[in-house]
This record gives sequence, C-alpha cells and structure tokens, in this order.
Amino acid sequence: MDKILEVKNLKISFRTSSGTLKAVRNISFDLERGRTLAIVGESGSGKSVTSKAILGILAGNSIVEGGEIIYNGKDLLKISEEDMCKIRGDEISMIFQDPLSSLNPIVKIGKQITEAMLLKNKTSRREARREFNRVLELLRSSIAAATGDAAKAKELAETFDKFCIQANRLEQSYNESANRAEDMVAALKDFLFLVEKKQKVDVKGMLREFRSKLKNIKDPFFTAKYSERLAELSKKLASAAKEYKKGEETLPTSVTAVLQELEALLSEMVAQTRPDFFRIGFYALRNPGEDLSLRNIAELNEQTLKYLNENFMDDFLALAAEGVAHSFRLCLDRKKALLPELAKAKTFFSGEFTKAGAVKYAKFLSELVGDSIDRLEMNKDSIAYTFSSTLLNAIEKYFYYSKRNPQEEARFARQSKRREALIARGKTVDWKVVPKNVLDLDELKGDILKTISQLESSYLRYVENAESVDFRARSIAIVDFLKEKASKVVYVVTRAMAKERAIKLMEEVGIAEPRMRYYQYPFEFSGGMRQRIVIAIALAADPEILICDEPTTALDVTIQAQILELINRLKEKRNLSVIFITHDLGVVANMADDIAVMYAGKIVEYGTAEDVFYDSRHPYTWALLSSMPDLDTKEKLDAIPGTPPNMIYPPVGDAFADRNKYAMQIDFEQQPPMFEISETHRAATWLLHPDAPKVEIPKIITDRIERMKKKAGGATNEQ
Amino acid sequence: MSNNRETLLRVENLCQYFGPTKAVDNVSFDIKKGEVFGLVGESGCGKTTTGRSIIKIYDITSGSIYFKGQRICAGTLAYKQEISGLRKTISQLKKTKPVDMDERIAACTARIAELQEEIKKADFDHRHSDREYAKELMAQVKAEYEPKLAAASAEELPALKKQYKDALRVAKKTKLITQIQMIFQDPIASLNPRMTVKEIIAEGLVINGIKDKAYIEEKVFEILELVGLVREHAGRYPHEFSGGQRQRIGIARSVIMQPELLIADEPISALDVSIQAQVINLLNELRAKLDLTILFIAHDLSVVKYFSDRIGVMYFGKMVELAPSDELFAHPLHPYTRSLLSAIPLPDPNTEKTRQRITYNPLAEHDYSVSQPSLRELTPGHFVYCNDEEELRYKKELGL
Repeated sequence: MDKILEVKNLKISFRTSSGTLKAVRNISFDLERGRTLAIVGESGSGKSVTSKAILGILAGNSIVEGGEIIYNGKDLLKISEEDMCKIRGDEISMIFQDPLSSLNPIVKIGKQITEAMLLKNKTSRREARREFNRVLELLRSSIAAATGDAAKAKELAETFDKFCIQANRLEQSYNESANRAEDMVAALKDFLFLVEKKQKVDVKGMLREFRSKLKNIKDPFFTAKYSERLAELSKKLASAAKEYKKGEETLPTSVTAVLQELEALLSEMVAQTRPDFFRIGFYALRNPGEDLSLRNIAELNEQTLKYLNENFMDDFLALAAEGVAHSFRLCLDRKKALLPELAKAKTFFSGEFTKAGAVKYAKFLSELVGDSIDRLEMNKDSIAYTFSSTLLNAIEKYFYYSKRNPQEEARFARQSKRREALIARGKTVDWKVVPKNVLDLDELKGDILKTISQLESSYLRYVENAESVDFRARSIAIVDFLKEKASKVVYVVTRAMAKERAIKLMEEVGIAEPRMRYYQYPFEFSGGMRQRIVIAIALAADPEILICDEPTTALDVTIQAQILELINRLKEKRNLSVIFITHDLGVVANMADDIAVMYAGKIVEYGTAEDVFYDSRHPYTWALLSSMPDLDTKEKLDAIPGTPPNMIYPPVGDAFADRNKYAMQIDFEQQPPMFEISETHRAATWLLHPDAPKVEIPKIITDRIERMKKKAGGATNEQ
Repeated sequence: MSNNRETLLRVENLCQYFGPTKAVDNVSFDIKKGEVFGLVGESGCGKTTTGRSIIKIYDITSGSIYFKGQRICAGTLAYKQEISGLRKTISQLKKTKPVDMDERIAACTARIAELQEEIKKADFDHRHSDREYAKELMAQVKAEYEPKLAAASAEELPALKKQYKDALRVAKKTKLITQIQMIFQDPIASLNPRMTVKEIIAEGLVINGIKDKAYIEEKVFEILELVGLVREHAGRYPHEFSGGQRQRIGIARSVIMQPELLIADEPISALDVSIQAQVINLLNELRAKLDLTILFIAHDLSVVKYFSDRIGVMYFGKMVELAPSDELFAHPLHPYTRSLLSAIPLPDPNTEKTRQRITYNPLAEHDYSVSQPSLRELTPGHFVYCNDEEELRYKKELGL
C-alpha cells in the first residue's frame, strides 16, 4: 500500500516547572493514502501532541527527543520553518478542537475562509509549474540519454507540455460552467420548493440572480447542443421577470413553468457525456482552427483517442518507458556500487571518530546516496530521501550530548547538594531539582549505525526486486503525475470564485443564510457554528492530509453526523487521508479504517476498525468499549477507576496497570512489548504473552458483539 | 407504575421569549417523583433554557411551573395578550353596534377583570412562593417548640430557647426553590477558583442560616464520601482536581441541600470517556440512595436512553415528542425524532458504514395550512406534536 505519512519512534516531552513531562513515548504508525486513521484515547494521552508535531506547531517548551515524521520524502521534524510553511495548511491541514482560539476575532468569517484559498492558489500554481517542469525535464534528459536522439526527446517533451496545459485550460472552463449549472439546478429546486410551500421569497431578486448566473454558463463544449434553447429560456425569463409585479402574493404559473423548464434543461446538460479534454487538447493542437464543440461528444472522444494514440501517445509512452528503464538501471548500478561503501561506513562509525571527520564522511556518503536515487520513481523511497538529514542529525546529536551529558550531571549534582544543604539547615524548600536530561551515548551511536543499516537493507531489497519492475506502468504513473500537476497549473481562483466556494462550503457544513453570515465576525456565532467555520476553513485549503482533533465533540448528533458525512465525502472525492482524533468510539466506528488506541503517550493497540471493535485484546480498549452505554445497554457501566498517571513520573511498568483489573505482577515491573496478533493487528499487553493466564473479555463487550453479529445477520437475511 | 406516583414537577404551557426569539414555546410536561426525565434536542432548541426557567434563573414569559403542588413560577404574557384581544373586540363592538352589544361587552369586561385577578395571583406566586413556604415552615417550628418551651424547667430553658431561635431562623431562610438543584455542564467554570472545596460545598448551608460549624463540617465530609471523594479533599482548591473530580464536587454541592429534584444540564459532555461512566454510575447510585428525581438534559442519546425513564424531544422551542424511553426508541413517530435517532453514532463499524441518515425538513414534512398541530397523546404516555391528518397516519403506523 501507498504510505503517505510515516511516524517512526516519535518521542516528545514538555519541560514544565515541576519536571519533564513525557507526553509521547516512542510511538510509530503509518497513514495510508485515502484511508482514515483514528487515534483514540483520553485527554493527556498524547494524541493531540502527536498531531501537532506533524504540523510542526508544538508549544515552545516541547522537546522532540527522537523519531521521524516522514512525508513525501521529507522528515517534517527536521526541515526548516520555511519549508514547513509550504506544507502546513496546503498539504496537511488541521481542524482544531477549540474553535474560539483558532479564529481571528477581528477578521470577518468570509475573509478567514477564503484567505487560504487565495493565498495558496498563487504559490501552488507556481510550485506546480516548477514541479511539472522538473519532472518533464528529467524525463526528457533520460529519454535522450537512453535513445541518443536528443532532438526527438525535446520535441516530444515540448508537445506534451503544450497540449497538456492547453487541455487542462479547456477542462477548467468546462468544469466551471458545469459546476455553475449544477449549483443553479440546486438553487432552482430550493426556490421552487419554497414557492410551492407558500413561503416568503424574494422573487424579483432571485429572478435577477438566475439571469445573471445563466449568462455565466457559456463554455462552448458545455452549451454547444443547447445554446438555442438556453437563449430562448433566457428571453422567457426576462419577460417573466417583467410580468411579475412587486408585492404579488403568488408567483404566476407562467413564471413557475419557465423555471421548471430551465431546471429540466440544466439537469440534462449536467448529465451529458463529458468530453475527454486530454485527447481533445492534442487534437486541437495538431488541427488548429477546427471547431470541435459542435461534434458528437462520444464520437469525438473515440476519434481523438485514436488520433492521440497513433500520433503521439504510443510513441511517447514507449520512449518514456525506455527513459525510465535507463534511469532505473543507472541508479541500480550506483546502488550496487554503494553497498560495499555502506558496509565500510558501518565499520567507520562503530569505531572511534572525531566530529569533523564524521561530518565529512557523512556528507560524502549523502552525496553518493543522493546520486543513487532514481528521481523518475513516483513512489518515493523515504529512507533514501531522508538519509542525509537523518545521518547528519544523529551525528550532531551524538556530539552534542557527549558534551552536554557531563554538564547536566554536574548541574544535577550541584542542585541536589544545595537542596540537601538547605534541608539540613532546617529550612523548608519549595523548589524541586529539575531532573537531569541525560541520554545514553551508546544508544545515540547506535542510531547512526541504524540509519546506515536501514538504508543498506532497503537497497538490498531493491536490488533483489530489480527484475520484476514494470517500466510501462511506471511511465504511465509519470504521465498521470504530470497531468495532475498541469491541472494545478491552470487552476486559477479569483476572489469571486473563492467567495462562491466559501459560501458553498458554509452551506455544506450546515450554516443557515451563508450569504449574510459571510460578512459577520466570529463573536456573532454560537460555539457549534464557530466549530463549523473552523471545519470549513480547514477544508477550503484542499489538503492532502486532514488532521481532525476532536472536531465534533461540541456538536449535537445531527450536525455531528452531517459533518462526518461531509468529511467522508470529501475524503472519497479528493482521495484525502485523514487522521481523526477523538474519544467517541461511535464516531470512530463510523470514520476509521485503522485505529490506534493511545494511553499515557503510548500506542497500546493498533489495528483495523474490525480488529479493534470485534476482537480487541488490550484491557484498556475493553475498558473504553464497556464504559459507554449503547442503545441496548441496561446493566451497570464498567467505569474505569481512578485517573491517568502523572506523566512527569511515568510508571515503570505498564502505565495502565494501576487502573487495570487484569493486571499481573509483571505489569508493574516491566513494560509490555507490542505483540503481533495478525498482520494488521498489534497490542501491547502482557496478557498476550504465551505464559499469561487466560482471561475473559468483559461480558458487556461479548454481549454487544453478539448483538451486533445478530443485527448484521438479520440485515443480510432481509435482503 | 409511574402513573401512580405523585407528580413532583408540573410545567404548563411554559414560554420563554428573549425579544423576538421564542426560545421555549408552549412546552408542557410533568415529572413524577423518583423518575429520570431526559430532555434531548439539538443545540439552541431550548432544552437548557427550560431547565434554567424551572430553577428561576430566568423570569418566564408565560405559563406556570408547579413544584410539589405549589406554583413557583408564573408568567403573565398569555393573560395580557388575551386582555388586549378582548379590549380590541370591545372597541370593534362599539363601532359596529350589533343588537346584543351590551351583553357581549359585559361578558368581555367580566373576563378582563377575571384575567387581571389571574395576573395578580401569578405575580404574587412568582415573587412570594418562597416566602409563603417559609411562613409555613415557621408555623411548623412554632407549633413544635411552643409546648416544649411551656413545659421546660428553668435550667433547660436558655438552651431550648437558643435551639428554637436557630430553628426559626433556618425555617425563615429556607426557600422552596432550594429543593431544586442544578449541576452545570462545565465543571471548571462553575466552581469558584478562590474557594476551597469545603467552602464551595457548604455555601448553600451557610446561606440557609446554619451557623453550627461542626455540623457543617460533618455534613461536608459525609457528602464528600457519598460522591466518592475523601475527607482530605475538603481543604483543597478546585484547580487541584481532575475534570471528573471537579464534576463530583459540583454534584456534592447540589446534593448537600437534600434536593428533591436535580437538574443535570449536560453533566458529562465536558468529561473524558473513562470519567463519563464514573459520573453516570455516581448519579445512578445517588438516585437510589437519596430518592432523587432528575431532569437530565443532554445531547448524547445513548446516555439519555441508558439513564432516563421518560424522554422529551425538543425542536426549535417546541416539545415534538414525549414518551417512555423504550417506547420512544422502539416507535419514534415524529419525523424529527426519527432523524435524531438515525444520527446516533454506535460503536459498531458494520452498522456505521451502512447507516442511512434521515434528514428532517419541517417544510417538506408537515402541511399545517389546514389543521393546526398540538401535542396529542396517541398511546398511553406517548405524546406527539401533530395535527389531525398526521395523528391518523401515526396511529395507522402504530397499528391502532
């Protein structure tokens, strides 16, 4: 599967006045593209901290003790703030828990929603163009190198560039018109519904609006077959508007008829076959001056496909495959050559070394690794891409702590001595000694070696699988990537468009009268409404990854269901990947594909939704499941006794042991490792150890699972 | 069953308007002694306002609220509206001069006088229900102590007199409304950060005129243990507690007054999952131990279902459906109730992924142009807000 985000061994703590609070203790998880990962846990379990670390917005007193967050070949914990700015909000966006503190009180809602769209659009167009050019240039040079025919490669690349961008321009214009028509159908339906129910409506204003909207539906491909009827209806609408006198109670039937006719026509237009602009773009490039919009769309699609394949695409794909193969082999050779070098590096770093020497050697290695990366591979190998930064960082850290550790020890000894002296003199001491922050140097050295050996094993696997690479599939992936970038290059958002989109979004998140509310300030909204605004803002930026931090906790059930449906719909439409943080297991069941249950800064159970709900193994998951009633619960709830532990002094053993009625002696002495239950399912509890006694899952859960199974069975029988 | 029990609280045609906004509009229900009555609805539908009106945080616009048979809240708007309507008819009659003009005017004036009397009564009840209650209590105390005082010997007399004075003071300061107590949603915002837990919990007793420190302390410790805290907590400040413990303090504060009715306004919404269950269990225990009646306001329907005997569903200030909780979930009739029930998230991935949510649009669902809707009892205990045509349809659905 395609991992979009990887979190590895993340450790975060906070420096507070009473000591270092261990908020996140060594967690790892992957987010796969187009899936939802739910992180479940109580407050203080570190779920929000993890999500903030991904966005790089941790509080000032936080210390990232270790780990990596890898996104798109970059380690988000190590890149500069400038680079982070490009990712934050644009590619990774977040819905915050507290709407009051995440809205600007002195800026109108409308501006806050459209801000990201407008800001982002300009830079993302530039960025997309740069990316498009880079990949195309890489492809061109490698085709040239593979075939030796530089002129032909250049010509192909230029043609592709031209028609791909042009095709996307045509498509955008078509989409705009189609979207407008779709909106108008919805508006007409609403209007007719209100008229039918004899509600008060501003007829004059609405008729005017319909006419102006109708004028904007003008894309030649979209309106070609319907232009006459559209013009006719537009005229009728104008005369209808004249016919209607202000203050009249009922709408004349002639006007209603015109509106109904218009709705029918627009619905028909929306439902027509879409032309394939990628093909048409090429045809239009080769045959300028020919008016294609009047042709039958299905026929045109067929014909242009054939034309495109015969004249360009077959050729282009074949050559691209050759280019990809060439670049692949080149890099494969470099990788093979690098393997002994890596082995040498391992011996170097396991011995004694000076800082200058180590850095010099690391830089040399990084350069070699950088050269060995196949840049035409769309599925990026994160280990190779982050090798340089990880290695240099590990070296830096090692030398920093080898200097810092003795200082820290000395400080600790000094302060403890002073405190003891004060106590010995009989004074009351109201301060504590700040615990010493000393890291194990051997472990840090091990990190350096681990980085290298990780790369080595990754490369070994790569070399092993070299035979089974499908170059044609890879070249198609490149074409898809370029197409996607091209669509971003031409995607212009104007202020008016941004406003329309914002209003549509506001409607979608359930804000009544969005046109009026667009101009209001945050304080004029109630808590639930503010939360919806925050959700609209996060969605407006059109991110790749959406992090939702308890987005619906403050909302009531109907709105909650609406918002969850909205997020799910957007996820499907835009292939979003979602990290969903919540403590409501009902919501989790609706949203999640995968679930990570967190407690006291650790992941205690990790699996697919089915694994966790139907076959949970950790006592904490049991406790969570049995502590909330569902609609059939009658018996006393199994409340979890006590409160979560103080993470300044984390427990030695399993953090949940104190509140766990299944706790064994070992739970208080040693932390349980992650036991693998199935390929997708893991849990950290000693109960899974082969020597552990068998325990019964609480009855309330087994009963519920039984009921659910019965219900599911009943449902299938009915069908 | 619950029908035989005594009615503790009766709400009649309660209206609470804030300017043009009708936060609560003509809501009637009653709560029997010992039951838990759940009130659900989306935010802004008036469920919290209803709770606050009952405890007299707001002066209600119209309608009456009876607690233990005594009217504690009364609004006058409905009477006033009727009077102005009658006055209009009178002036109309004077203009048109029909044959039976005098008789009809006389009838109208008589009705106006009647209504004005009602307004006076309502005003009196609304303002002085507590005083009346205190008077009653004082009379009781007098009746209890006077024979004792007369019979007492000379050396007993001073002590007894002091006792009598104390009892009289407490009786005078006791209000009927203190038998209704409220638990608030946000445990952080509802506790004064500058008072110790003991002061917070004892505040009600102190206001009520109790000066015996040893008694107060004993009472506070007792209540603390009752809600699952320990004596040592009494001297601490609210910030030293976790969310669940703070909510326990809030509960202790309301329970120490020995209320008969507890209004719990979303008491668990602001708490962590593992703590929510603790608080629900605690409320359940207290209910059994202290024989409490609870008005439970919440938007988490699974919890309301688990906790309540009867449930009222509110939509835009109106009560749209009221039924015993099992009946409501088994046979929801009003389309809004159905849409609400279809939106409940359940901890079961399979049902969640195939869930069909029902949307509610009042314009599309109802046609009230012919006959007006009202709250009607379709089966015993099951009320629905509907008109004639809908009543027939719902009855058919129920198989009647």
